[in-house]
Amino acid sequence: MNKVLTITLLILLLAIPLINEDRDSRYENWSKNILCPVCQGENISDSPSEYAEDMRMILREQIDSGLSDEEIYNYWVVRYGERIITNPQRTNIEMIVLPIFLISLFILAFIRSTKNE
Amino acid sequence: MISNIGIIVTWISFLNLIFLFFTKSNFQIQRLVRINLFFHFILFCLLEIGLFIDDFSISYIANYSASTTPPIYKFASLWGSLDGSILLWNFVLSIYFLIYIKYFHKKEFFVDVKIFSSILVFFVGYTIFSSSPFAGCIELASIGCANSTLLPFDNLLTSEFGRGPNPLLQNHPLMAIHPPILYAGYIGLVMPFVISTSHLIMKATNNDWIKMAEKATFFPWIFLTAGISLGAAWSYEVLGWGGYWAWDPVENVSFIPWLLATAFLHSAKTQTRESTLINWNYSLSCLMFLSTIFGTFITRSGVLISVHAFSNGNIGTYLLIGLSVFTGLYLIVGARNIEYFSSAKKLSNWFGRSGFFIANNIILFSATIVVFVGTVYPIFYETLYDRQLTIGRSFYDTLVGPLLLILLLLIVFSEKLPNKNLNFAEWVKSNQIEINISLVISIGISLYYEANYEFIFTIFASIVLVIILSKNLISYFRKGSISGSYWAGQIAHIGIGVFAIGLILNVTQSYSKEIITTPGSTIEFSGNNYIINPPYQESKEEKDVINLPISKSNKVKNASLNIFKNSSQQAISSPAIFRNIESDTYITIKVIDDEYFKLIIRKNYGIFIIWLGLALTIFSIYPRIKNE
Repeated sequence: MNKVLTITLLILLLAIPLINEDRDSRYENWSKNILCPVCQGENISDSPSEYAEDMRMILREQIDSGLSDEEIYNYWVVRYGERIITNPQRTNIEMIVLPIFLISLFILAFIRSTKNE
Repeated sequence: MISNIGIIVTWISFLNLIFLFFTKSNFQIQRLVRINLFFHFILFCLLEIGLFIDDFSISYIANYSASTTPPIYKFASLWGSLDGSILLWNFVLSIYFLIYIKYFHKKEFFVDVKIFSSILVFFVGYTIFSSSPFAGCIELASIGCANSTLLPFDNLLTSEFGRGPNPLLQNHPLMAIHPPILYAGYIGLVMPFVISTSHLIMKATNNDWIKMAEKATFFPWIFLTAGISLGAAWSYEVLGWGGYWAWDPVENVSFIPWLLATAFLHSAKTQTRESTLINWNYSLSCLMFLSTIFGTFITRSGVLISVHAFSNGNIGTYLLIGLSVFTGLYLIVGARNIEYFSSAKKLSNWFGRSGFFIANNIILFSATIVVFVGTVYPIFYETLYDRQLTIGRSFYDTLVGPLLLILLLLIVFSEKLPNKNLNFAEWVKSNQIEINISLVISIGISLYYEANYEFIFTIFASIVLVIILSKNLISYFRKGSISGSYWAGQIAHIGIGVFAIGLILNVTQSYSKEIITTPGSTIEFSGNNYIINPPYQESKEEKDVINLPISKSNKVKNASLNIFKNSSQQAISSPAIFRNIESDTYITIKVIDDEYFKLIIRKNYGIFIIWLGLALTIFSIYPRIKNE
């Protein structure tokens, strides 16, 4: 009885995010990762400043007119330099690969030295 | 005058340390360590006196204090910049030396005293040969001092006014306590380093050293946690950007020793119980200290630009030499104990207590690797390609986020871990009611807020954790008193669970808005009315403040702009915060004009819950103090 209840509740809980719309639309994804150049380390999605508002409008237009990710990337980087993008790991894939590689090496070495042969 | 005395006392303390290094009598050691502390106490007081009597013939005081600086910030100016903060560093290190001698020193050892005193010699040496907060001024700048001397009895020049501390550092009293507490954490990690290296040099290879090193890590760990939390609180209260953690390099390098120390506190327990992981424990006990020096190097050498970085010419090279020497010691001692390390027992139960502790270590160390790469990578990138890189939150969210979520799930089992493998089905059975209650609460919360998967997993894991662990704690508390490291762990774990609830609420639910308004008008924000009253100006000795009183029902809070005199830096916008258990309304001034104001108004969720969780974690010191 209890078990059935637990499973039902668990399924209910897991279903909740499905009712909410897909929050990370393409626009949101981009606006969360473009730095507002006049604010203190905030992205244009979080920043309430006017400057960020203007940048958001440009971004909105770019998404609506169906620009590709690469075109959007180039637009911002040409104007503001590479540091405008706060998720450099998207284009510099080594930034993700390097820590994951190091972590795997570490785990392998760790388990090898503690495992009972 | 103070400059001369300061430089001479520094020299005497240096000679005293050299003497201590060569001493072969325990009686002498006891005395010299106390004398050393006495000298550093004198140095600390001397610089404080200098700050309070505005002795602007001392370059440091002329550059980082002013006659108009309020007393509390004069006091805190001692650690307001690099040279002074090294003085505080040495003072705290000397306190720890005495603590070490009293509680951890073994009479038959001398090598530990040698290691400890060389670390002190290294840092005191910096203030003698490189740059000292007592250096006298020999060339004036337009305000403050342009050039200084490390030699006593020179003809010193006195500037008329001081330049005053960085405005950011004189805006909130939290700034007066955040650095010393953090230092007490960082520097305390010298003790486990000295304990483990000296024991292994002396081939004292029973599990004594690990017990001592664990104890010597726990108390600094508490300070480290408190110091980081206070820094976050300061950032939230003062900087006006609405956040508390920015993955700034200086924050990262305080997080690295914290992660390592947390890992060590856990793995030390497995070694004392089952004699496993000896080499790993030895490495962690040293890496904690080495990562502290590395962090100081990264942030103080000028290789990085950050809010916290106050760099100075040659400290980089100096720290790099120190880092190499101490790393060398760690490696050589390690290499000479390979045999001892290989005597460690292997692990058999991967889903028993040791397995969980190892999983904890793997996760915490993996998180360390990510934070380390994220901090160091931009330096390499700039060197290689000559372009700057911004590593934002998403990098850490993607890589550290999942790791910490798994850790949270593992903590749920920490209440009662079996030696043998855990039977998961049975565990669920015996905690069925708690799990169901947690599920119901999680569903409620998730429906109320806008929930994504990251949200529901974190909420469920933390609520199960808090309920199961609290039930255990309360039932035991009724029977008797709680004391010892098990209960310290349980309280810290509940704290982390509460913290995680606040964190996920904050990260996923907060929002903000820019509002243009006029004096006397009412603004509506998230169902509340806020009245914007007319602003008024306040003139203090060190700054002008424009206050904008904002009222909500009967509460009035000031949002303010602080404009510091003697400073070229921009004005600091301090927030008006209306607090609530669930969320804060956080209002900052963006532009203030005669006719209109531009305000930023934010809804920050979970802030109180975050502080509550951190406070609980720090409170875990209580059962241990009770025990010891």
